[in-house]
Amino acid sequence: MKIETTRFGTVEIDEDKVLRFVRGILGFPNDLRYALLPHKDDSPFFWLQSLDSPDLAFVVINPSLIVSDYAFELPKDAEQELELERPEQAEALVIVTFRPGENGNPAIMSANLLGPVVINVDKGLARQVVLDPNKYPVRYEFN
Amino acid sequence: MLIFTRKVGQKIRIGDDIEITVLDIRKGSVKIGIEAPKGLFIHREEVYRRIIQENLSAAKSVLNSQEQFDDTKINIKKSQSAQVGKQSSGSQ
Repeated sequence: MKIETTRFGTVEIDEDKVLRFVRGILGFPNDLRYALLPHKDDSPFFWLQSLDSPDLAFVVINPSLIVSDYAFELPKDAEQELELERPEQAEALVIVTFRPGENGNPAIMSANLLGPVVINVDKGLARQVVLDPNKYPVRYEFN
Repeated sequence: MLIFTRKVGQKIRIGDDIEITVLDIRKGSVKIGIEAPKGLFIHREEVYRRIIQENLSAAKSVLNSQEQFDDTKINIKKSQSAQVGKQSSGSQ
């Protein structure tokens, strides 16, 4: 299927690669379908591009590439909504925010470890999960 | 807004499925227990707001920006993929 995006123009994606969010990413309740697009060859980053709003995209990264010991208990309600039957079906991605660096320094990148996006890779279901704020930072700077 | 006065141990019921109990009151803090159906989003308001705010910042930070972020300078950790545990016992 063809999707329209502000950033990438028209992109062709496989229909069965569409991620269906069982709940919108917090703050974006009406965007429920996304596609995961690689940033560049060999880049650790992906774009989580909304199929419902052409101008909405998030940069995401596999958290294990930036934090060595990121692990969390998936709340039971999320496990059920994502129809997860086996732990291997679950993949986590974290959303990256860029803030301008001072004095011409490169942008500061931070990852939201408090609200990871969890995907059931077999079923293409996804959801942002809220974890314990005492354990996980919302802005984990990693560059 | 509905306003109730409750004592420790007393409850408030919302609809058929939601029960809120005042567990303890001490030094200006109230400890509250919530029984609600699975799948209902229950979080501290400030946590919820913080994540919404960060999501909005994240979306805005890449919107229309032409910056080619430099992904060659990141210290990539060499470890297995993130572990997502299953929670055996239920509620929050």
